[in-house]
Amino acid sequence: MSNEIIFTEVSKFYGEVLGVNRVSLRVPPGITSLVGPNGSGKTTLMNLMCGLIHADQGTISVRGISPRNPEQLMRQTGYCTQFDAAPRGYTGYQFVSAALLLHGYSPAEADERTWRAIDRVNLREAAPRKVAGYSKGMRQRIRLAQSIAHEPDVLILDEPLNGLDPLVRAETIALFREFAARGKHVILSSHVLQEVDVISDQVILIANGSIIAEGQIHNVREEMTEHPSQFLIRCPDAAKVAALLFAEDHITEVRLHADRQGLLVLTRSRERFSELLNQIVLGGQNIESIVQADANVDSLYEYLIGGGR
Amino acid sequence: MTKLWANQVLTIARLEVRKAFLSKRGLWVYLLALFPAVLFFGHGIDTQWKRKQWSQQVTSRSLVESVQIGERAADVRLKLGKPLRDFEYRRRRDGNDESRRMMEYFDGQRRYQFHFVDDLLKDKSDQALASLEEDTQVFSGMFQYFYLRLAIFFGCLGIFMNLFRGEMLDKTLHFWFLAPVRREVLLVGKYLAGLVASAIIFGGGTMLAFFAMLWALDPADVQAYWQGPGMGHLFWYTASAMLGCVGYGSVFLAAGLLLRNPIVPASMILLWESINGFLPAILQKLSILYYLQSLCPLPPPVDKNMPAVLRLILAPAEPAPAVWAVLGLLGVTALVLWVASQAVRRLEINYSTE
Repeated sequence: MSNEIIFTEVSKFYGEVLGVNRVSLRVPPGITSLVGPNGSGKTTLMNLMCGLIHADQGTISVRGISPRNPEQLMRQTGYCTQFDAAPRGYTGYQFVSAALLLHGYSPAEADERTWRAIDRVNLREAAPRKVAGYSKGMRQRIRLAQSIAHEPDVLILDEPLNGLDPLVRAETIALFREFAARGKHVILSSHVLQEVDVISDQVILIANGSIIAEGQIHNVREEMTEHPSQFLIRCPDAAKVAALLFAEDHITEVRLHADRQGLLVLTRSRERFSELLNQIVLGGQNIESIVQADANVDSLYEYLIGGGR
Repeated sequence: MTKLWANQVLTIARLEVRKAFLSKRGLWVYLLALFPAVLFFGHGIDTQWKRKQWSQQVTSRSLVESVQIGERAADVRLKLGKPLRDFEYRRRRDGNDESRRMMEYFDGQRRYQFHFVDDLLKDKSDQALASLEEDTQVFSGMFQYFYLRLAIFFGCLGIFMNLFRGEMLDKTLHFWFLAPVRREVLLVGKYLAGLVASAIIFGGGTMLAFFAMLWALDPADVQAYWQGPGMGHLFWYTASAMLGCVGYGSVFLAAGLLLRNPIVPASMILLWESINGFLPAILQKLSILYYLQSLCPLPPPVDKNMPAVLRLILAPAEPAPAVWAVLGLLGVTALVLWVASQAVRRLEINYSTE
């Protein structure tokens, strides 16, 4: 059985409105972020994976299971949706435990797992209260607790960090990493690109229902040869280094920082830039640090869809 | 696997049944279910009150029955004493001005009315204060014209349409779809929850109305009724009400999955059920009401003055034997639930279109 999530030529339309169009993907275990503007198709992809909606064309396999088989699929999958509501009158505890009872756990085991999941999202005190009275962040956390309570192999999270305070956000990210470290899938969507950049093993960039790039952020960046790579260099004699860099034809732009100890360099060849820097260092210049400035999803998005966010 | 499904069905039913009972949206269902009981209870109170009031002025039956047509009002009054009610009025008829008078007496069980025209007794009638025979007829009419056709019909609409459609409106259906449960199992679990709630509400409402009908009647008549057909009547009325929930429940569960607006299916089904008596026998068997009326122990009373078309609509078709009625109803229910299971498999979560 495959341990990947595979989309093959999947299309979904809502009447005449395009959801996703001929999407083909292979998602390996680890943390994968779906990134795209509102209406780009992120939630549609997640809903398709969980069988909440059905593809008009193409096939989907989640670790070898079809989303049309919820009985098997949802045993190995947890989905923290964006839908805010819980069934009427449910407390936080009931919201989690009811789902576990449907899994077939005994009441005692469901109780134990419920409290364990609730503790992981730090919601024990609020658990006996009705979900309808929760704040946005608390609802987010109780949904997260429900989605992880049965220890799924595939954890799907739609904008999971929305509404969380910084401390809980850090704890939640740690939880995702822990899942991923155990060979599980963690698939999340986010608008906060910097966050995705830090969390993700790989990204899937989506716009207008189509996948425009996928893979590890650095690899995706390297594929985009038409855009010069950007590097930030810190060095005591920035003006001298700038002069040396400008002599090369693959360097398209060099900007000197106001403190004259930093440079922003744009190059069309990462390899030749690397060789050049070696020569500069060997020539006696002191280079304190080099950081790629555009190997993040912000830049990728900017390049790929021309700032269409 | 079957054991797991059974456990899941019971878990879903247990989680949902409270909602089916206590949904704020469904409180009107209780009003429908309890309306006949309230009506009969009110009638009972009225009967008791009259019996108590009139018992202070009882006239011997033999004396009352000795009054003959043509006697003068003053003579009747002299013979029977002061009536319970005595009123006079004038009536103009064919240019003649008639003097009319009505006197009423009570013998402890029946009330007697004497109608005088121009001071001479023209007509006399009597009626039991509370009659078991009459009340069971009224109950039969109420049960078949109101309870089966309207109360259970619309009550089931309220309860069963909400099971899926209500969750769509509340944007909570995904909670169930994200559980490791076959859609068909979810359907059966929710149906069972609705069935338990509706059967208790309407089965209980039927029993309550039945007891309310009997409580003010003459205890000797009631005892004789229980020793005779009473228990059977109660059983079949209650069974009809509960089987009505089985049948209409499945229909409205399916309708909730197939259609968004409850008014459309309600109107169509109500029309189908109403015209069913005109249809060929094979089509009559696709009606819930046909089987339910077949199970009722007494035919409903039909007013002779009722317009012919209305009488045809209200008249039950040739009833099926009880066993076939139950099996037929369960068969129709199974067919409708199968259609619903196909719909629920295709159902998608798309709250924005709700």
